[in-house]
Amino acid sequence: MSATNEPFYLRYYSGHSGRFGHEFLEFDFRVLGDGRSATARYANNSNYRNDSLIRKEMCVSSLVIDEIKRIIKSSEIMKEDDAKWPTKNKDGKQELEIRVGNDHISFETAKIGSINDVTDSADPDGLRVFYYLVQDLKALVFSLIALHFKIKPI
Amino acid sequence: MADEMELDEPVSPQGSTGNNNNILGAPSGAKVAAMQTHTKATAVRSIEGWIIMVTNVHEEADEEAIQDKFGDFGEIKNLHLNLDRRSGYVKGYALIEYSTLEEARAAIDSAHNTKLLDQTIQVDFAFVRPPPGKGGARSGGGGGGGGGGNNRGPNNRARSGRSRSRSPGVAAAKEDDL
Repeated sequence: MSATNEPFYLRYYSGHSGRFGHEFLEFDFRVLGDGRSATARYANNSNYRNDSLIRKEMCVSSLVIDEIKRIIKSSEIMKEDDAKWPTKNKDGKQELEIRVGNDHISFETAKIGSINDVTDSADPDGLRVFYYLVQDLKALVFSLIALHFKIKPI
Repeated sequence: MADEMELDEPVSPQGSTGNNNNILGAPSGAKVAAMQTHTKATAVRSIEGWIIMVTNVHEEADEEAIQDKFGDFGEIKNLHLNLDRRSGYVKGYALIEYSTLEEARAAIDSAHNTKLLDQTIQVDFAFVRPPPGKGGARSGGGGGGGGGGNNRGPNNRARSGRSRSRSPGVAAAKEDDL
């Protein structure tokens, strides 16, 4: 197992306020003191068709954290900058905050409807990294939630 | 939410039906050993079984390759082999569910640091107990206001310097839930 003692924090938020109130999806991972585990939290609030807030909390092993770190590092998101990304708008926003060791990023951008939004942006290469990383992280989180709690997260 | 069940096993409302696990009491010594991860955390059971993670999975591995290797340790109840959204190849990890601790333990002991399609894989439990002490009280508790308060501490610190921290929705959710 790799060095799990380096600080690690990950948070992703995607949401908007509209006709159905504040609807959002948010998850975060935070390594606990001794590095042997991390807490993961997940919240999904959709008011559509009277859906209600889903909130889950779990504790994952260091192997899971190592894998998340690998996914983050291999994406090279830490080298990107959100300066030229589309800013949040009436359709909402996304936020991604990551701390790995001494590196820290905190990005905010508009929701991305399709890869066309990425291609048409002022920083397609950077935004593409963000776009795919977010999808890969969501896929992992949804799998963890589905297997641990036996619910469909979305 | 089932906060009253979260004293020790945040996500295992099936405690009373656990497969010969005295989940609600202190596990036996052998049991504790079987539940240990490589980094000496203690695994927890998920709703329907035990989930293990496999990493460094070859990008061209398929479900059959996973089945061939991990089906030997018990029936695979669920398998998630997620794909890289950009390349369409396997992302590099698999999540496997077994019904029993014994099967999960056997998979970890037998397959960890072995080869799968020429790559050395790592295998361990995916879910663990919060460590005793602050971590345990925090995420396992849910029962006490202290738990909730504590919960916000490190979070806010991690976001220090930012004008907007938690979303109002999450804040409201906490109040409702805890």
